[in-house]
Amino acid sequence: MAKVEQRGALSEETLRDFFREMLLIRRFEEKVEERFRAGELPGFLHVAIGQEAVAVGVCRALDEGDVIASTHRAHGHTLAKGTHPNELMAELYGKLEGCSHGYGGSMHLYDVERGNMGANAVVGGGLPAVTGAALAFKLRDEPRVAVAFFGDGATNIGTVHESLNLAQLWRVPALFVCEDNGWAESTPASQQLPIEDLSKRAEAYGMRAVKADGQDVEEVYRATLEALAHAREGHGPVFLHVRTYRLTGHYVGDPQVYRPKDELPRLRETEDPITKLRDRLELADDEFEQMDREAHELVEASVEFAKAGTDPKPEDALKNLYA
Amino acid sequence: MEAGTIVRWLKSEGEQVEKGEPLYELDTDKVTQEVEADASGVLLKIAIAEGEVPVGQTVAVIGEQGEQVSAPEADTEVQEQPQEEGSRAPARDEDRERGKHASTNGSEQVTEIEEPARADGRVKASPLARRIARERGIDLTALRGTGPDGRIVAEDVERAATAPAVATVAERTGEVERVPLTSLRKTIARRMTEAWQAPAFQISMSADMTRAVELRSRLVERAKEGVKPSYNDILIKVCAAALMRHRDVNARFADDAIELLPSADIGIAVAIPNGLIVPVLRAAEVKSIEQIAAESRELVTRTREGKLRQEDLEGGSFTISNLGMFGVEHFVAVLNPPQAAILAVGALEERVVVRHGEVEARPMMTMTMSCDHRSLDGATASNFLRTVKDFLEEPALAL
Amino acid sequence: MPELSYREAVRDALSRAMREDENVFIMGEDIAEMGGSMGVTQGMLDEFGAERVRNTPISEMALVGTAIGAAMQGMRPIAEVMYEDFLTLAAEQIVNQAAKHRYMSGGQLKVPLTVRTQGGAGWSPGAQHAQQLEAWFAHIPGLKVVFASTPTDVRGLLWSAIYDDNPVVFFEHRTLYGIKEDVPEQLEPIELGKARVHRQGNDVTVVAIGRLVHEAIAAAEQAEAEGISVEVVDPRTLLPLDEDTIVDSVKKTNRCVVAHEAVTRMGFGAEIAAVVQHQAFDYLDAPVERVGAKFTPLPFAPVMEEYVVPHAADVLAAVKQTMARGD
Repeated sequence: MAKVEQRGALSEETLRDFFREMLLIRRFEEKVEERFRAGELPGFLHVAIGQEAVAVGVCRALDEGDVIASTHRAHGHTLAKGTHPNELMAELYGKLEGCSHGYGGSMHLYDVERGNMGANAVVGGGLPAVTGAALAFKLRDEPRVAVAFFGDGATNIGTVHESLNLAQLWRVPALFVCEDNGWAESTPASQQLPIEDLSKRAEAYGMRAVKADGQDVEEVYRATLEALAHAREGHGPVFLHVRTYRLTGHYVGDPQVYRPKDELPRLRETEDPITKLRDRLELADDEFEQMDREAHELVEASVEFAKAGTDPKPEDALKNLYA
Repeated sequence: MEAGTIVRWLKSEGEQVEKGEPLYELDTDKVTQEVEADASGVLLKIAIAEGEVPVGQTVAVIGEQGEQVSAPEADTEVQEQPQEEGSRAPARDEDRERGKHASTNGSEQVTEIEEPARADGRVKASPLARRIARERGIDLTALRGTGPDGRIVAEDVERAATAPAVATVAERTGEVERVPLTSLRKTIARRMTEAWQAPAFQISMSADMTRAVELRSRLVERAKEGVKPSYNDILIKVCAAALMRHRDVNARFADDAIELLPSADIGIAVAIPNGLIVPVLRAAEVKSIEQIAAESRELVTRTREGKLRQEDLEGGSFTISNLGMFGVEHFVAVLNPPQAAILAVGALEERVVVRHGEVEARPMMTMTMSCDHRSLDGATASNFLRTVKDFLEEPALAL
Repeated sequence: MPELSYREAVRDALSRAMREDENVFIMGEDIAEMGGSMGVTQGMLDEFGAERVRNTPISEMALVGTAIGAAMQGMRPIAEVMYEDFLTLAAEQIVNQAAKHRYMSGGQLKVPLTVRTQGGAGWSPGAQHAQQLEAWFAHIPGLKVVFASTPTDVRGLLWSAIYDDNPVVFFEHRTLYGIKEDVPEQLEPIELGKARVHRQGNDVTVVAIGRLVHEAIAAAEQAEAEGISVEVVDPRTLLPLDEDTIVDSVKKTNRCVVAHEAVTRMGFGAEIAAVVQHQAFDYLDAPVERVGAKFTPLPFAPVMEEYVVPHAADVLAAVKQTMARGD
């Protein structure tokens, strides 16, 4: 998982790197589904299958020192921001070696050292803190940007509006990434959004809006760079609207009775970001298979690592409450 | 979701299936849905064709052509049932048990519960206990509590209300320290209380111990390496001899009879920290003073080391209690029921006496005998004590 | 010794912290030019400038949430929520976010945030501008809750709250802003979690918070004249609570009254009563009495408002009630 050295010019090598990362996320999420069904993973699980290009495209464009805050669908962002699959899987298994040491689980993944300020189970709950982090960077004159991920459904909640409003008012270096997959749990856009173009929500606050095709990792990456430059140069926050697709249910095991029967197979055919990039790179079958094997190995190893991990003692529940 | 019902299989055993292909129809409490295959391969075995299946149970096995299906292997895909949003994860139930167990057994004290100090004079009693005590005029300070932390609870007060009247405690000043009774003290208390039930009288005589003193020094000379006899040992021998002459005194009261005992089994009162124990020296009438000395020493040692056996304490016929070493001149001992008598012995000391009209200083020792009037009357007791005195003043008379 | 009002004492603590430490800044509605709706931050804009004395829109979630985010990045912001009734709007950020970041991350983060707010009846503010909600927040693991009742206390405690590395909800009381007292020349920090005994006594312990501390002291003076000796204890910090001081006092007096302006039922007094009952069970000669507001929203008409809210007379009545039950 090498850091991207060059800005602007996306070499084939870099794209291959992005591909490996996206494939890793895909295989990781599939493994999570499988282990969940085996009854090994307690609690909630929301996988990001279909949204890998957004996670990789945005996170790979960030600098050291930039921070992110994610949503309940956080595994992709967490891996793309640099957390090792071992630590992520260990967290899902509730082990001390997990990135949140067993205290958080899938929806509360934190990796502060790597700039991950936490996934949030409350829709829109993490945005105000992103405005706040950006404020701190501005007050301290640091060239850092704070990034919030959220979905189209979240654009209806108060915290999002208040955060966009205040961020723009105070011109803080923040990036608000709206992963518009057309679904808020089981509610389609038509039933929850009175407008179609969500970037208008940003414009309503006077905020600059940028759009990108969320299934094209290159486009996402370029759009992010542009947005980051804007924020870093002190021009204020940016709303990045990416159209993407959730190629699974809302949660693992979701029977998706609310989704038209033909939608998923069609989308898997036409909108899979991994297929798209594979085609774009013209990867030979054997090369793909090699990369796939490597991804599988990493994921299998992470399950081994997690299963062999240390269970917290019951009394550990009483720790980490106060600083 | 706890269980689902398999409605029908969409693939048959032996058929090739692709990952993501619908495999079977499942009825849950919410909806009927098609369940997709988790892996590609051959549907080797359908474990459950139809009907209700609990969550987590294997319903089918997908693997490679020709694989054995008898036991699920690590690389064989096992089909599990989908679950609702969020799962308890049955595989983690053990973890949950551990957490639950630790919670009730090694619990976090949210508030520290400390022993209330006794020093302030408050009696620990529940509000209900206090109310009952108030209503019935019972003094809480005289009660012992059986509730949490030794608290007096309603039951303790109820019990006291039906028991015989307890002596009221005079007005307290200063601090009261409550020392709970050890089982030893409880026994002593019980026996002493019993003793008060016997109608007792006391008679006293003082003996001139000149000859006894001489006797003792000769015995000590003869003892050399062995145990040196004490005045108490001489006294035991003397009393044993006297008891054989006055069989009425070597007796026990037994409700409908007075038991006259065959030998002088003499209880020696031994003081130990926090209490009094009376081991018995048996058949003192047939033992020499040397033997008595050795045995009494052994009894006392074992008493002080806490190594007495039950048989050491049973069946005495007479008891001697000696407070002479504490400087007590004379005292009245409490009967050791059901024994007929107990002899309380004071210190051996020089006193001024009148002999043959002359004032002299002689070594004197006062003995007081407490007697159970149900077993003995004054004449019998006095004769016995006279004999003891005579034997002490002229040991040869005991031969 | 200089004399400071409660209001000035708050301002003093804020200002001294901001002078010493660049990381400290304040934000809230109308706190800049106007100097705050209660005048607490008057003059601070002139001294510190608009970057560090930040007016916010009417946007409590973003107000508190932004402060949380800045705190997570190592700053020490103090967010002012104008009325504690509006804490309800910011409650999601305080309860779900600030209180839990440290724990959910397994100890990776600190949230050194202070949320200042005020409330209190007595001037017909109406039901939505006068609540006393300290009990809500004392119920949340991960938060600390402070409610000071005197100028010296509020100054020393606010300083400690600012420099505590945990999220602190800091309650002030509207009717106390004007009270004055002599305070030490130098700001003396007061440790969180330590109660204060205002008045020693032998017959009854009155544990009071906020405005009711002063009502309790007045009631104690009246009681003295009637031969009852009252000890007044102000916990000052509600979470963590100084149980020892309270329990030791009740062990001495054997009677306890708890008093707060908040509604009695489910108020913080219930927690104190439970602690006292449990730890001083054998020392109580009477049940613990609670003094608080009646179980209604706050009515507007003055005659009704005064009926609902507790006063010194209520504390005195409770004191006498405990005396009547004595052994």
